[in-house]
Amino acid sequence: MNRSAMQWLFEPPSIRDMAPGTKVIVYAILTFWTAFVLFPIYWVLITSFKSAIDVNSGPVYLPFVDFQPSLHAWKELFVFDFWDTLSAYVNSLIIALSATAASVIIGSMASYALARFEYQPRFGVVFMFVLVMVGAFVAVGRYGVDWRLSCAAGVAVFYFLARALGRHFKARLGNGDILFWMISQRILAPIVVVVPIYMMFQQVSLLDTHIAIILTYTVINLPIVIWLMYDFFTSIPIDLEECAQLDGATRFGVFWDIVLPLSRSGLAATTLLVMILSWNEYLLALFLSTSRAQTMPILVAAMNAGERGILWWSMSVVIIVMIIPVVILAIILQRYISKGLLLGAVKG
Amino acid sequence: MRPGTPRAAPSIGARERLSDWIDRHSAQVFIWPAVIMILVFSIFPLVASLIMALSRIRFRGGTYNVRFVWFQNFEKQLFGSEQFHFLGTFNGLGLLGWAVGLAVTLLIAWLAISYLRGPVTAVGLVGRLFTWGLSLGLGWLFAATLFSGHPFGTLGTTLFYVFVGCGLQFVIGLALAFLCSLPIRGRTFFRVVFFIPLMITPIGVGYAFRMMADTTKGPFSPVWQWAGLGDFAWAADAWAARFFIVIGDSWQWIPFIFVVMLAALESVPRDYVEAAQVDGATSWEIFKDITWPQVVPVAATVLLIRVIEAFKIVDLPNIMTAGGPGIATESMTLHALFAWRSLDLGQSAAVAYLLLFVTVVTCVSFFNLVVLRRVRA
Amino acid sequence: MTVVLDAVSKSFGSVKVLHELSLEVQDGEFLVLLGASGSGKSTALRMIAGLETVSEGRISISGQDVTDALPKNRDVAMVFQSYALYPHKTVAENIGYPLKIRRMNRAEIESQVREVAAQVRIDELLERYPRELSGGQRQRVALARAMVRRPSVFLMDEPLSNLDAKLRGHMRAELKHMQHELGITTIYVTHDQVEAMTLAHRVALLEGGRLQQLAAPKTIYEDPENLFVAQFIGSPPMNVAHGRLDAGTFVIGKDRVVTGGTETVANAVIGLRAEDCQVVPPEDGAIRAQLFANELIGDHTLVTAKVGDDMVSIKAPKEFEAGFDEAIGIAFATDKLYLFDKDTGARIRRT
Ligand SMILES: Nc1ncnc2c1ncn2[C@@H]1O[C@H](COP(=O)(O)OP(=O)(O)OP(=O)(O)O)[C@@H](O)[C@H]1O
Ligand SMILES: [Mg+2]
Repeated sequence: MNRSAMQWLFEPPSIRDMAPGTKVIVYAILTFWTAFVLFPIYWVLITSFKSAIDVNSGPVYLPFVDFQPSLHAWKELFVFDFWDTLSAYVNSLIIALSATAASVIIGSMASYALARFEYQPRFGVVFMFVLVMVGAFVAVGRYGVDWRLSCAAGVAVFYFLARALGRHFKARLGNGDILFWMISQRILAPIVVVVPIYMMFQQVSLLDTHIAIILTYTVINLPIVIWLMYDFFTSIPIDLEECAQLDGATRFGVFWDIVLPLSRSGLAATTLLVMILSWNEYLLALFLSTSRAQTMPILVAAMNAGERGILWWSMSVVIIVMIIPVVILAIILQRYISKGLLLGAVKG
Repeated sequence: MRPGTPRAAPSIGARERLSDWIDRHSAQVFIWPAVIMILVFSIFPLVASLIMALSRIRFRGGTYNVRFVWFQNFEKQLFGSEQFHFLGTFNGLGLLGWAVGLAVTLLIAWLAISYLRGPVTAVGLVGRLFTWGLSLGLGWLFAATLFSGHPFGTLGTTLFYVFVGCGLQFVIGLALAFLCSLPIRGRTFFRVVFFIPLMITPIGVGYAFRMMADTTKGPFSPVWQWAGLGDFAWAADAWAARFFIVIGDSWQWIPFIFVVMLAALESVPRDYVEAAQVDGATSWEIFKDITWPQVVPVAATVLLIRVIEAFKIVDLPNIMTAGGPGIATESMTLHALFAWRSLDLGQSAAVAYLLLFVTVVTCVSFFNLVVLRRVRA
Repeated sequence: MTVVLDAVSKSFGSVKVLHELSLEVQDGEFLVLLGASGSGKSTALRMIAGLETVSEGRISISGQDVTDALPKNRDVAMVFQSYALYPHKTVAENIGYPLKIRRMNRAEIESQVREVAAQVRIDELLERYPRELSGGQRQRVALARAMVRRPSVFLMDEPLSNLDAKLRGHMRAELKHMQHELGITTIYVTHDQVEAMTLAHRVALLEGGRLQQLAAPKTIYEDPENLFVAQFIGSPPMNVAHGRLDAGTFVIGKDRVVTGGTETVANAVIGLRAEDCQVVPPEDGAIRAQLFANELIGDHTLVTAKVGDDMVSIKAPKEFEAGFDEAIGIAFATDKLYLFDKDTGARIRRT
């Protein structure tokens, strides 16, 4: 009897169905995880409706039951500080959208190029470039040469060296090397490059502007786009592209009309991921913006307002409103992604 | 082409010629924007950063002066009086420390011998010597700090976040993906819900988990009170703090692994699974023998992506504990950030470079040992 | 429009896959590039299209040198073996794409698309996506897309090879008719000699990247330039037997065949088409042979026999019957036989 009960519980009744016991366990785990995922969000949400007293005098859980929800934090952000909030929000939108668009377009172009064209840069020329660059740096750092002069001289020297000596180098790099070089840039932690980038923008007076942050975000996300899109591009039948060329399209036309639409599921997933990364980025924004170009994550951190302690309620409001654009984008792109999120991309 | 009016014809011709010129050089046109951006914003700063790491930079009245000091910054990190910061504190080895150190040494010796017995290639040998050497160093580092009861430095903390965090995230993410790939109702619901944490800004996650973990005003304070831990300050306990950070990080990143692995699992051809079902295999057997081998490449890649990103962890420790207690939760990026705040740009860059080094070594080893072995097999 | 290839060569790295190919395609001509797999047909076609660079030589279309022109500026249309229909566009969008690129206005595109769709009888399918079409329908869409912009040259790379045998025959006829009606110069690649013979005004036979013969199907069948052409064309392939040519007499084993010429060649090959031979009693035949097998194929019997070390096929009446290994004789008219030099493969024409 015992055995048959066990059997009923855990033996699948049919091939399409699960045994009741297994089912219960599966649902229990999934429900637990749902709670684990949703509870912090719920807590942030209700905290945004709490007054300072509610927060500071121990936990209250249910609005209207435990405590009287109030809109004071929302009012504070959207009525009293409306312009500051709006400016951060708009900054964030401009920066995240532009950086996403730029890195997806530039990254896909490079990725497509590596999938379709053949590159054979000479190893010696690349090496020469590195040498010249280091020389230019030493000139600036050690001997105080003006950086513009040093850059110009470096480019000129490299150009003539490459023209004069380039032909003599035999060893060549291939597409794989370039691809690896580009993707490996993702290994760079932002902290490695942020200080020089800061100084660079300082030199050209672009600190605390949209363009500085957009450029930086674009570059740090390029490797991801190149990595994820490469497999999509190689899997497109080349006949289609050749046919379009004969139909009269330019290379860019082929890319735009044929290649991009055919890889749109990968494109959607990549766009979403890049958007999430640049919308939520904090460290680089902290370095590169001081006031005018402040983004939403900076605003979150700003609610840790020193002498007044942390304004949990206002912070919660910011966190909540920050999710909205991402959710909207996810819903828009969901249609394309639903089947193969990031797949193909990471087929390895 | 259609005949144009005589006046318009030359301009059309010029435009045609331009577009044809671009078309002929499209191989260059497509790749140079990315190359230039990477050169300017990635390679250039990388070299600049190296020079900074080799210099001492002082701010004086609005300008700064740079003095080349070779490896002093690195020396200071590795052997200087501040060594507790990067490597940890050495105060002699404890008994357990000796045991672990010797165990690691023996393990690596055994690996080395078994490799040397087989076919040896020059590149493989150099690469392995490198990896063995570093693992040995790391093993003794942990033996001398963690296992001898002394605090370890930001290197150890970062590695803890990476290996424990990514391991946890991978296992849970994969398990959830497996459960969601079963034929159950409400899969779409779970899929959407499980994805949400990824969309929240890491800094928000940091603050949210700070609230969660609050033993007096947080939602779980009744539980803490009941367990008699009402005044337990988790942020003051090194291991509790580290684990809280790992939990927060996992809450955010499990969705990433979940989503990718779910897509991979669902793209396994139904025929294979059905054939196995007909043969009477259980769900678990099907997973183990059929599905898993098919998704291993995706798993390796997603894990590699996740490991790369995990090395950069900074927001959570910064928000949740500000690196405390002491430096117990300070990741290397945070370490460099703090050095920058105290205007010690040389040290900051040196730490950043050490982080780069550790990341590269880990990723290359991972790639060689896991991804390439799979490819060769 | 004419297409002229002037000593065009192509190398991939150090491998030369096309050797000094020279062709002149007349205006309105249907030229078929025929050859075995790997003989360089596709490569030649793709060079005309501009999809492959030219290593040496010149290509011109309508009198204009296009050797270095971009594909889009050559005014050629191509039908691919895979059809290369854009999966994300409907049939109408697929057909209209070349026009859209040329910035034609919408209404005009629509009317032209309708017109060609009617021509290839797919006007019912305009709103569908390629994945919702059968092989034959896809084929027609690909054709329509090539036709819609009235190019100076059509290029087709084995366009029928993905269809089943019956449909292939049908499409072949349609293609021929269409080409005749439109009068557009067409270069068509195939490895199927039946297709080549039925479609072409002239056939260019390629082997190993070299042009073997360029002639009308009838000529290429009846008057092959060399041994390769003779053996490539015809089904079953032309029978050959090895021997020597002695002052105009072909010596094969104990048999001597008077050919009517006067040449002497040490290593010679005699060629005969199956339908030009008759099976006769051994003593009446010009050549004696040993029967190897006979197969009844509908309206005739195909007899396979052994001449020395060579196998020959002979078409016999369907009533023919004989046992294995029986001795037979083969009779033929002298003017139906072909002679080749074994060493060079060149035809030996009787003087
Ligand atoms: N991109 C390439 N790189 C190197 N060799 C090539 C390339 N394309 C074709 N070849 C070689 O050129 C030769 C001719 O190829 P081609 O495709 O023209 O043959 P084909 O006559 O079209 O054959 P099939 O009937 O099989 O299509 C082949 O030996 C092939 O291996
Ligand atoms: Mg071919």
